Amino acid sequence: MISIRNLKKNYDGEGAVTTALEDISFDITTGEFVAIMGPSGSGKSTLLHILSFLDRPTSGSYAFQGKRMQDLSDEELARIRNEEMGFIFQSFNLLARQTVYENVEIPLIYNANIPPELREARVRAAVAAVGLDDKLYEEAGKLSGVQKQRVAIARALVNQPNVIFADEPTGNLDSASGAQIMEILARLNESGHTIILVTHETYTSEFAKRAIHIKDGRIHSDGPLTRRRTSKSDFIK
Amino acid sequence: MKLTDAFKAAASGIRHARLRSFLTMLGIVIGIASVILLMAIGGSAQNLILSQVEGLGSNLIIIIPGGTNSGRFSSPATAQGIVIKSLKQNDVDALRREPAIAAVVAEIRGQADVVYGDNDVTITYEGVTSNFFSVRNFETAKGYPFAENDVNSFNHVTVIGSALANTLFGPTINPLGKLIHIKNLSFRVMGVLPKKGTGAFGIDQDNLVIVPISVGQKQMLGIDYYTDIIVQANNAFSIDFTKSRVTSVLRGNHGIANANKDDFTIQTQEDILSLLGNITSIMTLFLAAIASISLVVGGIGIMNIMLVSVVERTKEIGLRKAVGATHKDILKQFLIEAVMLTAIGGATGILVGSLLTALTYVVLSHVLATGWTFVLPPQAIILAVAVSTITGLAFGIYPARQAAKKNPIDALRYE
Repeated sequence: MISIRNLKKNYDGEGAVTTALEDISFDITTGEFVAIMGPSGSGKSTLLHILSFLDRPTSGSYAFQGKRMQDLSDEELARIRNEEMGFIFQSFNLLARQTVYENVEIPLIYNANIPPELREARVRAAVAAVGLDDKLYEEAGKLSGVQKQRVAIARALVNQPNVIFADEPTGNLDSASGAQIMEILARLNESGHTIILVTHETYTSEFAKRAIHIKDGRIHSDGPLTRRRTSKSDFIK
Repeated sequence: MKLTDAFKAAASGIRHARLRSFLTMLGIVIGIASVILLMAIGGSAQNLILSQVEGLGSNLIIIIPGGTNSGRFSSPATAQGIVIKSLKQNDVDALRREPAIAAVVAEIRGQADVVYGDNDVTITYEGVTSNFFSVRNFETAKGYPFAENDVNSFNHVTVIGSALANTLFGPTINPLGKLIHIKNLSFRVMGVLPKKGTGAFGIDQDNLVIVPISVGQKQMLGIDYYTDIIVQANNAFSIDFTKSRVTSVLRGNHGIANANKDDFTIQTQEDILSLLGNITSIMTLFLAAIASISLVVGGIGIMNIMLVSVVERTKEIGLRKAVGATHKDILKQFLIEAVMLTAIGGATGILVGSLLTALTYVVLSHVLATGWTFVLPPQAIILAVAVSTITGLAFGIYPARQAAKKNPIDALRYE
């Protein structure tokens, strides 16, 4: 699904060039649950932005589902982000004054393949998948933190993407709420979704099957996780 | 992104920031309402002025003593305060013999005090030939106009304006048959005019005293010339032809060979209507131009608040871009939002402007009784709609481009 070779990312700033990523190479196959880990400033978020087509690398190659990023226009990247990728953010990024329904519907608005008459069924199914059926017409800003992140997951699911990118999804939640979110992600992975998670929390990463450690912009280690958590009680411990 | 979705997103943006949206629209509402109101007032004023000229009568040619030297817009000598004695009885007689002319009215005008009992009012009096009433469409509300016999016999009779009748006699006394005194002469009131308002050239027709020309000219002023002569063209001839005949007759009578040395000025109603129409149109455009300044200010307000809105909604823009919105989608959404704001503002402005126009009509026509008409020019509404939409586009494009240009990563990180 994802193939990266010799990826490099530099940032130009005030006369100096900062290298955020250097010589990154790996593959991710469909159905994997990968945690990209590393300390703050290691380059893990930069890597996620490139993987999710929000940013372009300075050099190296990146192919998603066989499509090389350098061959795609910004409009094509936007279309792939919309149709084949889902996003979950640390700060939820919901439109606070709009309803759960309106928030979850947003990605469908930009999807030309889904006719408007099918949208409602898609939204209801996505919201049901995160157990918020009874909150459909509530204002997103009035929900609890974990409910907001569930809405964000529903929004990520609504276009039925192949891969879900989660950037510190439990960062703004207490441990019990974080566990609920990780359980949902684990369940989604079991149902066939590829999950790529960025986190600096070891206990969150332990829901993944594979961990890529980034340090100073380079891959420090890449391998399967031997000690895995699969349940909320295990997570809270 | 479908257009309907862009409209929904824009409407949602407006709905969720009601106060901000209202304040943004306020500038446009005031601007459009001002344009509508001022153009409507201009239109009504134009109608009023033109109707007063048309109210002079039909097929009329006005002869004023004194030449205009040159140029259409130069005023005749009499209008400059110079007394010219060139229009005399032989001119009236010669014009009456002309087949192209149906009627000739001679006029003199002066100012004096009119007294009845203890009431003493300064008024403008007109001495006219008896055909004045039919040629100028002056009917009486009470009594009758004087006849040719009254003119020939130097009878001291008069027809007075409605307001003057009320001032002199009050509501209870019937003015007909009463004697009023002007310049030590006594006049019997034969008729009272209906309420007519201010006539062309600013003459207050409700305070007018009309007397036979013979009495006015010989006994009140002691002169042998006329203030002006009004000629009514024969329907069988064109106004232009009649005008040329009048010119020819007067030049013959006055012994004028050089056309540049005319000692009279001839104006047709069309000349006056065209001149006044031009002036009032320019005035209306001038008023609309002043009001348009407020539209520009309103547009800048829209741009200002849209820019603030773009900054406030940075995270929303980042999210929309992350989940698949393109540069064009964001541009469309914010541009439609700006146009919707100005369109709603424009529609509200048209409504407010129309209500203010109606209110102005009620006040001016009923309270001040000036014969003001209700005019809501369609071009003002078309202009208002066009200008508000263009304002939305022109002042919305920059904030919309700023929104569309945002980098999604920076936008998502924005706090």
